[in-house]
Amino acid sequence: MAIAFEQHETGDAVVLDGAIDISSAAELKTVLLQALSSATEVRVRLDQVTYLDVTAVQLLFAAGQQARRSGGSMQILGQVPAAVLSALADAGFHSLSASVQAG
Amino acid sequence: MRGIPVPAISNADQFKQSFREEAREILVDLEAALLELNENRGDRELVGRVFRALHTIKGSGSMFGFEGLAVFTHNLENAFDEVRNGRLEVGSELIDLTLSALDQIRAMLEERDGEAEAAACAEILAKVRKLTGIAVHGAAAAKPAKAVPAAVGCRIRQWAIHFAPGPDLLLNGANPLLLFGELRQLGGLSVKASMEMIPPLAELDPERCYVSWEMVLAAPVDRDAVRDVFIFVEDSCELRIEPAAGDAGQAAEDSDAAARALGEHRAASGGRRTYDKPDAASSLRVPAAKLDQFVDLVGELVTVQARLAELAARRDDLEIAEVSEEIERLTSSLRENSMNIRMLPIRATFEKFRRLVHDLARDLGKDVELTMDGAETELDKTVIEQLGDPLMHLIRNSMDHGIEPAELRRTRGKRSTATIHLSARHSGASVLIGVSDDGGGIDAEAVRGRAIERGLVSSDAQLSEAETFALIFQPGFSTAKQITDVSGRGVGMDVVRQRVESLRGTIDVASRPGLGTGVTLRLPLTLAIIDGLLVSVADACFVLPLASTLECIELSAADIERANGKHVANVRGEIVPYIRLREHFNVRSPRPELEQIMIVESGEGRFGFAVDRVLGNCQTVIKSLGRVYRHVRAVSGATILGDGRVALILDPERLVQDALRAQLQNRSARASPPAARSVEAAAAGRRIAASC
Repeated sequence: MAIAFEQHETGDAVVLDGAIDISSAAELKTVLLQALSSATEVRVRLDQVTYLDVTAVQLLFAAGQQARRSGGSMQILGQVPAAVLSALADAGFHSLSASVQAG
Repeated sequence: MRGIPVPAISNADQFKQSFREEAREILVDLEAALLELNENRGDRELVGRVFRALHTIKGSGSMFGFEGLAVFTHNLENAFDEVRNGRLEVGSELIDLTLSALDQIRAMLEERDGEAEAAACAEILAKVRKLTGIAVHGAAAAKPAKAVPAAVGCRIRQWAIHFAPGPDLLLNGANPLLLFGELRQLGGLSVKASMEMIPPLAELDPERCYVSWEMVLAAPVDRDAVRDVFIFVEDSCELRIEPAAGDAGQAAEDSDAAARALGEHRAASGGRRTYDKPDAASSLRVPAAKLDQFVDLVGELVTVQARLAELAARRDDLEIAEVSEEIERLTSSLRENSMNIRMLPIRATFEKFRRLVHDLARDLGKDVELTMDGAETELDKTVIEQLGDPLMHLIRNSMDHGIEPAELRRTRGKRSTATIHLSARHSGASVLIGVSDDGGGIDAEAVRGRAIERGLVSSDAQLSEAETFALIFQPGFSTAKQITDVSGRGVGMDVVRQRVESLRGTIDVASRPGLGTGVTLRLPLTLAIIDGLLVSVADACFVLPLASTLECIELSAADIERANGKHVANVRGEIVPYIRLREHFNVRSPRPELEQIMIVESGEGRFGFAVDRVLGNCQTVIKSLGRVYRHVRAVSGATILGDGRVALILDPERLVQDALRAQLQNRSARASPPAARSVEAAAAGRRIAASC
């Protein structure tokens, strides 16, 4: 599991790697708040994640809502692994699954 | 569970440990329920309790990575599902098989991979298959297939399920997403997550679950089967299971199912131990080691407080004295509180013997019931931890030697079902633990004969009844004509004696021929702190336990002269022998003009200890003397005084025994066989001491 906030000239991004679950939830919240403090656009890279539990889904959802309220949006970078998408859909997170797939 | 990648939970070990602890507690309840079911084989509520406990272990086992355990338990669960549905009857075979399986589950919780364990699993599962006629899911199966109660011949039902996890569900280590996989094994499932309750990011508690789910399940199962999926989270979530709109033919079946579900729920809330404790918010699980550390620190505080009190008294400083008194009050409360935290009811220890009695009764072909009272009596966890072995040996001994075969009982006009009774009650600073039976009683003549045969007493020894019964606790003593698997080697009772003595306890035996035997263990409530009397001999300080101290009298030179130099004191007409600690511990300094005698009550009667001065009451923290001094019987520990000096805590009972033994050896016992000396010492002790 790794959570990082990378700052590039092309734009900042929250990069998630491995299984993101309750053990990393507090860290993810901090990083998402950091990302939102500097921009209204949240970019999250999910192509290396292997698992997202309900705490991770809640945080990503809340970050997306906050970005939208500030006039921005949340953008998913990279191809999200099919297993993760399937797991999200199985757990009833259809809109999130669709949005990250579209991203 | 399809589609959900296995979470790589970094603190998985912590959750596993938590599961192990919970599972062990569930197993204790499960065992009690099984033994109760054995007595009441038609009790459907008990069957439901067993089924739910098995299901809980299976479900949470699977969730925490104990896949093999989950599969194994699933097969047992199937068997009880058959019972629940009236296709299998509760019999001794099923009960015994399930009890063996519980032992196996306990072993599996330790995750010891081994061929022997796998073979044991396979053997039990083969028996389950033979009994139920249901194909067994082997350990190689990736996941346990869900039991589908009442699936056969049942039409497809549609269930609308509302599932809203409580705030602490995730913190308890549960993962709600895994439940959907289990539901999918029942039938078709559509799931929709509701995100409405998720707060703004800044206000969001990252470890709390805000999501709830609405589901529709189409499966040939009744409401109970759906509820069972949520069984280990249902106390910490909001759960509604209703027939979905459009679900046909629900009325009659539903009302039955609802009534049954309600009945089971009521029954369950009475006795079932759920995975998520309802009182989770008001109780806390703390590792025993942390508690020990806490008590140690309180002990240190008591010592420092004593030093402060000493300092305040020495300096005659009112301000310091005031602070010291306040700290003393607080320390005293803290000490009492910390002791209370360590106190546990003895029920769990008592309950675990139900299984022992059941198994032994079966093996010995006897009909025995276990009764108990005072199980709520609390005592120090250290004492409780060490009580298991002595009680086990006492019960085994009663079952094997005390209780007669059913036929003999009938010819004696007794009930064919024998009783073993466990009891506990407080008595001052002690707790009395009793093990009694309504068996044949101890044959005092046989005991005496055997003791003479083994050289434990001389053939002309005059022993009271209590002294005769005490012989059964001598090493290697047994009157059993045959050594059985249960007892007869003469080891068990010796273990009882040793363990009880190490706990600073005493044993009392009462027996009536033909009516039964009662063994009472008198044990201290705690081993950590002792209320004592501080006494001094020359420069040395000693602590005598207050609980055994009766009174203090003065011993003048005139008193000694009146007794012709013998170590006896006249206490209001009663002659009480005393032991002079100065001589016993070989303290080389002149005796004061006036000595003090502390009178104590011991197993041998009243005895006195002559000391120089009595310094006063003290509450002391017992410090172990370590392995080097563990053979010093008369000293049970040490404590640090307020001025930094060390005082030895004396064990009056053993001090008396040692003194008697020494007197006996000094006098005429050379003619007796060595083994007889220690026993006769007790019998002749008072007589000899009085003649000193």
